[in-house]
Amino acid sequence: MTRSPKDPDRGASRPEPLGTLGRYAGPATLILSSLADGAKHGYALTKDIESFAGVRLAPGTLYEALSRLEGQGLIEAVESSDRRRPYRLTSAGAVALRAHLDAQRQVADLGLRRLAGNWGTA
Amino acid sequence: MSQVSEPTSRRVERLLRWYPVSWRSRYGDEFAALLTDDVAERPRSLRRTVDVAASGVVARLNMSGLTARTLDPGDQVRASLASLGCALAAFLVLGVAMWAQLAIGWQWSRPDTTGTSVGMVAMSATMLVFGILVVLAAVPIASEVIGRFVRRESRGLVRPTVLFLAGAVVLTTGARHFGNGWPGTGGHPWAHQGLVPGGVAAFAWASTLSVTSYWAHPGALLSFPAQELTWMAVSPVAMACLVVGSVKTVRRLDLPPRALAFERWLANLAVLAMTAFLIGSIFWLVDGGPGPRNLFHAGAIDLVGLVVMAGALIVSHQAVFRARNADLTAVGR
Repeated sequence: MTRSPKDPDRGASRPEPLGTLGRYAGPATLILSSLADGAKHGYALTKDIESFAGVRLAPGTLYEALSRLEGQGLIEAVESSDRRRPYRLTSAGAVALRAHLDAQRQVADLGLRRLAGNWGTA
Repeated sequence: MSQVSEPTSRRVERLLRWYPVSWRSRYGDEFAALLTDDVAERPRSLRRTVDVAASGVVARLNMSGLTARTLDPGDQVRASLASLGCALAAFLVLGVAMWAQLAIGWQWSRPDTTGTSVGMVAMSATMLVFGILVVLAAVPIASEVIGRFVRRESRGLVRPTVLFLAGAVVLTTGARHFGNGWPGTGGHPWAHQGLVPGGVAAFAWASTLSVTSYWAHPGALLSFPAQELTWMAVSPVAMACLVVGSVKTVRRLDLPPRALAFERWLANLAVLAMTAFLIGSIFWLVDGGPGPRNLFHAGAIDLVGLVVMAGALIVSHQAVFRARNADLTAVGR
């Protein structure tokens, strides 16, 4: 695919923190979006993500993403007497999620505009 | 939380074993709670088992300092050096076995082909470099370990040190014993008829006696003297003790940043030496000449060895690359 240098949609900024997660960027976005409305433990995260995205994150994938996000300071563990330790979004995590979702929205808007221009509303 | 049944508990325990100890000590409890809930909802799931196994392997690779996942700079260098140590050990066991056969062959007669002679000279020079690098790498580590023992701060170091020393004593004593029995040198370390002193060649040959294609021919193996067969079984265990002891020591030792930087520099040289050795052995494999009476003929086991050594070189390169990226100025802040 070639793009015109004058394409006004070029150069949408890419968020750094989630972009560096490689194949875990997808699960990371789902986890951060889930934590955006409050702290949750692993199983609650799995159920919440399944309900709003229709995707069930397997336990290994979920914890790999959680440990990476915690390492980047985007989420933090909450003290708990239960074995099910909850996690919550940090302010850096909220900034990273907003930037990532804004960029995703730009891509979605661009795709929808191009579809409407070339394929109509069908 | 409701009472967990015995089979569920066992299944969760088995799944957790995929992860390294350090990961389990941080996430083990909460991950076990998640797995328990998941197993209660879906008692059997191949997808879950495969996912946990794959994530566990990834966690182990992360902890070994071989992936893009960044650890604390000191940990990163220690983990990468430990991984390099394992890969280098595998490389050297096969390399020494290969080189010792050729060095012993040269005790009897010079190779007929230029390629083999060039390859052997390169491999022998590289072996000398490996020896120097190992000694240089051992000095800061040994002095730090001795210092810890003197200051009575040896917690966590006793077991790896004992393992290392036990492996070293068994390997050295056994290889000396069997090397002395080899007729080419009469046990004299400087009986010099070939490219390298006969005693050195015999010692190298005896220490890697277990690296042989005879394992694929049990009938022929049974005709070996019982003492030799015992040594072929014991020497790999001694080597494993030596490697595990030294690797665990490196992982557990808080070397100062300057010493870590020095070890990292040596690691770079080790990778260069491995590359040179591999090139030398390729010269020999290509130009070794036909078998079976030719002392320098390369067999199937040598080809397999070369492939494994190439794999070890790739792992070592990756380990050095990861160690190089760690910012040691941040260590100890």
